[in-house]
Amino acid sequence: MVKFHRRLAIGYWLFTLALLLPSAPFALADDQAAVTVQRPWMRAVPNVMDTTAVYMVLVNSGPAPAQLVGGSTAIADSVAPMITTKEGEGLKQVVGMKGVDALEIPAHGTLVLEPNGNHLMVMGLKEHPKEGAQVDFTIKLEPGDHEIHLKIPVQKKPVQ
Amino acid sequence: MSVVSPKTTSVPNPPAKPPFFDWRVWTVAIVLVVAVGLAVLFGVKQNAQQGFYGMRLFPLKTAYDFKLLGSNGADVWLDQFQGKAVLFLFGFTHCANICPTSLTNLTAVYQALTPEERKQVQVVFISVDPNRDTPQTLEQYVTSFDPSFVGLTGSKPAIDQTVLAYGGSYEMVAGPTNQPNDYSVNHSAYTYLVNPSGKLELLYGNEKLAEVPKMVSDIRAVLHEPRS
Repeated sequence: MVKFHRRLAIGYWLFTLALLLPSAPFALADDQAAVTVQRPWMRAVPNVMDTTAVYMVLVNSGPAPAQLVGGSTAIADSVAPMITTKEGEGLKQVVGMKGVDALEIPAHGTLVLEPNGNHLMVMGLKEHPKEGAQVDFTIKLEPGDHEIHLKIPVQKKPVQ
Repeated sequence: MSVVSPKTTSVPNPPAKPPFFDWRVWTVAIVLVVAVGLAVLFGVKQNAQQGFYGMRLFPLKTAYDFKLLGSNGADVWLDQFQGKAVLFLFGFTHCANICPTSLTNLTAVYQALTPEERKQVQVVFISVDPNRDTPQTLEQYVTSFDPSFVGLTGSKPAIDQTVLAYGGSYEMVAGPTNQPNDYSVNHSAYTYLVNPSGKLELLYGNEKLAEVPKMVSDIRAVLHEPRS
């Protein structure tokens, strides 16, 4: 009950805040604004690597699916959504990755980007931020060409 | 002294022996005991085999003695590490997800060992992309994970022979730009554990490497095995 009341209170304040602020930042469609990002991180990589990966959990609280179509950062040439592929069985199995146009965040669902799984590949690294640094990173969602600007910690291991 | 004949001492018409002494009962009992004993023994043996977290290969066979190029371009072969447990895997430095994840996990495993144990363990990363991975590149790459790690490359035939000998596989996949250097490599992502006697003993799929305590326990068990 306490939790519920707290939520109500937060909701009330957010609502008040929304009324006070100009309407422009809230002009996004509901399904776009419904996506939030949790535990983002970029893998710290040695200078000899020209690629790295960004991982995060995308939560869609809206009633319509959203698509993660890419991203951008000043420290690299390009960012692309990737899936991990497995072909063959047993010892002959090969693991690889494949670029995709989009990764779906289902309605009222989550998309997990994690080591060994789906990820945002960051290609053509111009800088190699060290562990502990923060990187400005933008992800792009569809529909609506919606962008979310993030500050992403650079780490060697997942955010605990 | 006359010998007393059994006949005279025995009861002329002995009553039927109680079933406890029946030879059939004993036969069944012995068979049961032997069967249970065998089952227990077999079970214990099975348990010893399955006590490993990694997939244990049995019977153990001598690991293929690859000969590749080390950091300064000098030949490095597997047998050089005999006496150590060698954990090796295939990959390439342009790999953004699987390879750094595996190496990060192996770093955590390696660093969880005692300094004494670390002296008996060698992590080796073998490139399947000699076109882009020079010995120098690999050296910088692997040592960024742990200074003790070794990166190996070599001629394509030498690499192919190594991959083949371990039952692995890899293939180049063109990237979106179709530039000659824009390609990815789909590759076997197992980590192979060669024991200090030079036998290929355990296999780990890439996702298994994240369980650091289980990996450490396997490595300790392998280090404590009697050497052959």
